[in-house]
Amino acid sequence: MNLLQAFKMAFKSIAMKKTRSFLTMLGIIIGVASVVIMVSVLQGQNRKNMEYWEKMGDNKINVSCYSYMDSNDATAQKLYDYCLTLNDLILGITPNVEVGEQVTIRSESKTLKTNDWDSMQDSNGMIDWTKQYSIKLGSEYYGLCNNLTLGGGREVNYLEIEKTLPVCVLGYNVKDILFGYTDPIGESITLNGQPFQVVGWYNPIGMENYGEWDSVVVIPYSFNRALNKNQQITDYVVKGRDAQSTVEAMTKLKVFINGMFPTDVDGNKPFGDGNVSSNTSYVQEMENQNMMQTLVMGAIAGISLLVGGIGIMNIMLVTVTERTREIGIRKAIGAERASIITQFLIEAAVICSIGGLIGIGIGTVGTLIAGKMILQESSMLPSTFITVGAFLFSVVLGVIFGMYPAIKASGLQPVVALRAD
Amino acid sequence: MLIDIQSLYKIYNEGKESEVRALDGVSLQIEKGEFVAIVGQSGSGKSTMMNVLGCLDIPTYGDYFLDGTDVTSLTDKQLAHVRNKEIGFIFQGYNLIQELDALENVTLPLIYQGISVFDREDIAMEALAKVGMDDRAHHRPNEMSGGQQQRVAIARAIATKPPIIMADEPTGALDSKTGKHVLEILRDLYRSGTTILLITHDDGIAATAKRVVRLSDGRIIADHPQEVDWE
Repeated sequence: MNLLQAFKMAFKSIAMKKTRSFLTMLGIIIGVASVVIMVSVLQGQNRKNMEYWEKMGDNKINVSCYSYMDSNDATAQKLYDYCLTLNDLILGITPNVEVGEQVTIRSESKTLKTNDWDSMQDSNGMIDWTKQYSIKLGSEYYGLCNNLTLGGGREVNYLEIEKTLPVCVLGYNVKDILFGYTDPIGESITLNGQPFQVVGWYNPIGMENYGEWDSVVVIPYSFNRALNKNQQITDYVVKGRDAQSTVEAMTKLKVFINGMFPTDVDGNKPFGDGNVSSNTSYVQEMENQNMMQTLVMGAIAGISLLVGGIGIMNIMLVTVTERTREIGIRKAIGAERASIITQFLIEAAVICSIGGLIGIGIGTVGTLIAGKMILQESSMLPSTFITVGAFLFSVVLGVIFGMYPAIKASGLQPVVALRAD
Repeated sequence: MLIDIQSLYKIYNEGKESEVRALDGVSLQIEKGEFVAIVGQSGSGKSTMMNVLGCLDIPTYGDYFLDGTDVTSLTDKQLAHVRNKEIGFIFQGYNLIQELDALENVTLPLIYQGISVFDREDIAMEALAKVGMDDRAHHRPNEMSGGQQQRVAIARAIATKPPIIMADEPTGALDSKTGKHVLEILRDLYRSGTTILLITHDDGIAATAKRVVRLSDGRIIADHPQEVDWE
């Protein structure tokens, strides 16, 4: 009997035993599809997190520093000056503060409000983060430090900060709502009635789910005193030149802050304290966390594959008796052991492959749907590795259990196989 | 000498209390072209005898020469060839594969023989025509009566034109009219030179054979030719 004939026989057998073939496939379909969907969603989530941290955390150092002894102005100035001396390591520094009070932003005809939680929710109670408007108190390095690029105009400048001049740079969403396609540069908006002149606007940062980064109005940080009721500026964002410089700058900043606020003999810091951290370290932490999640999910995926596999095994074993008789008949009319095993091998491989392919199809569609619904990604697809892995696992399992009756029964004397019931 | 067995034993659970000697030292010679009925009560060892003679089972002890070949020394693969080329089986329970239609069931031994796809369907149709089942070629076993299924099984047995046909209670599950028809087919095969081994418990059926071998408790108790009137 040649291979073509074995294929024909296998297909015949599959077509004739539709229920059995379908049930066998079902185990594989469910196993493969669920693994593909689960792992893909997790990987998508991880990717999204990483994208956030990579966009937001690129060589970004968060510095906080607060004096217990004065209004912090002097401390802020010292830190600022020190950062300027780190010119070869640092690109810029900006305060990381926003106006806490509710502010009404008004152009000629349009009005926006910051911290307006009611308007952020849609009818389903879902929060639209692009509507979380905020007034940021920034330096001339605000855009640089926060990975925003100018779409037009310029940043606020040093002189305007020094003189507390009413100028502002608009985030893309704010510019879009207040001015649409018209050029906002030179136009005037009011913040709680006080006029500010628009000197620039940022391009969209373009991150789904983080729309608030595009909903900012940046004004000189010297307005802190007037708008934030004398609250101190204690938090800064410092932008390193590159990964290496970031690490170096962090060390220097830590030393500098420890120098400003020395520890006394009792181990206390009586004058003030500070902290230096970078998103690079968050990224690392996140990577570790992702790894853990992937491992856990991998274990769950493995279990569901195993359950699918047991399903396959059960169907195959339940049909052993029936198939043993068939094998007996085939042997009695002259089938060699090899041809019987070949037929069963092909049969199992074909069933499992079809099931696996259907599983991949469903898994892919499921991943697309899940990606849209859970992660708001327009076209999320499963990774090749997991798809191929799940497919191979099920097929191998199916083939092993599919061949089991053949190997067992084809070694029997025909009369013993014929007697099976 | 086509079939030559010398002191053949088939013993189950040997050496235990439950030891059963299904064949207890049987010797038998059958010439080419004979029509032999092996008769015995149930439990007499006649089915075991057919299984061993048909290479469906192996004897515990003893020699079995089929057309001069020592069957007990053959490999599994060689035995498959013997079953395929030398012997055609007709079982009481038909043993057709339910998922295949009549033609496909008859084609199966031809496939295992390696006959080309162009020829084997013609050969199978020819065999079906011989048993009068060519008009049912595409019916599945569950769409046929017992007699029709048995005729398909006979067609399968004769499709490879084996020199020996072994029939184990071929009429056992059939009414007397269809049973007669099946016996008629066997007689036709005999006339065309095929060696027929008919296993039955029914003396009436055995009366159709030219020679009767009677088994009891695994031993041959009688072996004689008989006159038959087939017309």
